[in-house]
Amino acid sequence: MTLLRQTYLLLCKDLRLELRRRDSLLTMFFFGTLLLFVFHFSFDVAPDKMAEMAPALLWLAFLFTGTLGLAQLFQAERDNHCLDALLLSPLDRGALFLAKSGFNLLLMILVELVVMPLFWILFNLSNWNLLPQLFLVTLMGTVGFCVLGTIMSAITLRARARELLLPLVLFPLMIPVLLATIRCMETVLRTGTFADAAPWLRLLLGFDVIFLTLGVLIFDWVIEA
Amino acid sequence: MRLTVKKLAKSYGFLWALRDFDLELPPGSFVALLGPNGAGKTTLLKLLAGLTMPSAGAIELDGENFAANSSITRGQIGLLAPADHLYDQLTARENLRFFTALYNKSGQAGMLELALEEVGLAGRADEFAGNLSAGLKCRLSIAKWRLLDPGLLLLDEPYGVLDGSGIDLLEMFLREQCDKGHIVMMASHHVARALGLCSRALILHQGRLTFNEAKQTPWSSFDRAFGDFLPRGGS
Repeated sequence: MTLLRQTYLLLCKDLRLELRRRDSLLTMFFFGTLLLFVFHFSFDVAPDKMAEMAPALLWLAFLFTGTLGLAQLFQAERDNHCLDALLLSPLDRGALFLAKSGFNLLLMILVELVVMPLFWILFNLSNWNLLPQLFLVTLMGTVGFCVLGTIMSAITLRARARELLLPLVLFPLMIPVLLATIRCMETVLRTGTFADAAPWLRLLLGFDVIFLTLGVLIFDWVIEA
Repeated sequence: MRLTVKKLAKSYGFLWALRDFDLELPPGSFVALLGPNGAGKTTLLKLLAGLTMPSAGAIELDGENFAANSSITRGQIGLLAPADHLYDQLTARENLRFFTALYNKSGQAGMLELALEEVGLAGRADEFAGNLSAGLKCRLSIAKWRLLDPGLLLLDEPYGVLDGSGIDLLEMFLREQCDKGHIVMMASHHVARALGLCSRALILHQGRLTFNEAKQTPWSSFDRAFGDFLPRGGS
């Protein structure tokens, strides 16, 4: 069975479980929305400073919301020792990595599709026409977050205080993705085009490709360690 | 399938859970794995299942090193853990469908329904596994391994959750596996039941193999070896 077929099988299983439990998506959605309201009431940002502030605030919300999702990523496998059942099978561990990253990516995209327009409404931003471009940059940043987050989630899987440990190991490693995404979004918000954001886009793309490849290659070792 | 284990050892820090374990099993063997609590039975099963890496030694299936082509050899090994290794939020049928697809054995749809019927779960196939009792989950696990048909089946204390008919079902399934030339290794504290089924008995004590003999009748050497671990009774 090919890597992609196994990935599809695992992804379908995770989506089916999430549709039945709805705990990850609902928690992430409400937490993301809640953070936006907290930011809205806490910051009084001048309109000319919004290009600098908006990406950072948005990504703070995504980072915390995404970490909630990552903490729950292997919950179904922890119950009834189902991870052992998967490790016992002839499953390619790379498929498990791709399926878990893909599942977390889907949840994040759904949350971002709601949170980004809501942010525009709450902070009274006028440049709605830039939203598709900003969403594209966010998507690239989210891929980086999900692939690295899945690796770190698997590393901390057997740790006692994994929910506390995960952000401690993940956030420092996320700095290149955060920096590139925020700077890229800031440039797009200021200039209205991708032209000046090319170096940051290349960094983001490089990070995504490197960690996606690395994840497929090392997940065997990571999950069995 | 032929199983060869050479100088297998596993340590957790300074503690040796298993050491110098050698074993050679021909096709169709049924091994009763016995010993007191903490003897290393579960560690041995986990090592054979590939769920734990050995500290030393090698495992060969049909002469092929376990680690050399792990995804192929892994598909040949099953671990029946009662009431475990099933997704609670999937139905009994969905669990079987998922695992047979994972093992690339989902070809015949009728086989799945037949397996459910054989373990008495045909009427509860659309119930979530989480809603089934431990005994019914164990029956579902039997159906799962019946469909996956592993060359080496490992069992860890399967009797605890099963009722009388469940035990009959399990033992019939295990006999069928051996008749097909597959190897079955069962760790259990139900010594009489395990001895009734087995073709060979192993006794582990403090991580070492202290007894390894093919079944005989009468079996005085086993009685002597196992006597130390029998309950003394209270007074």
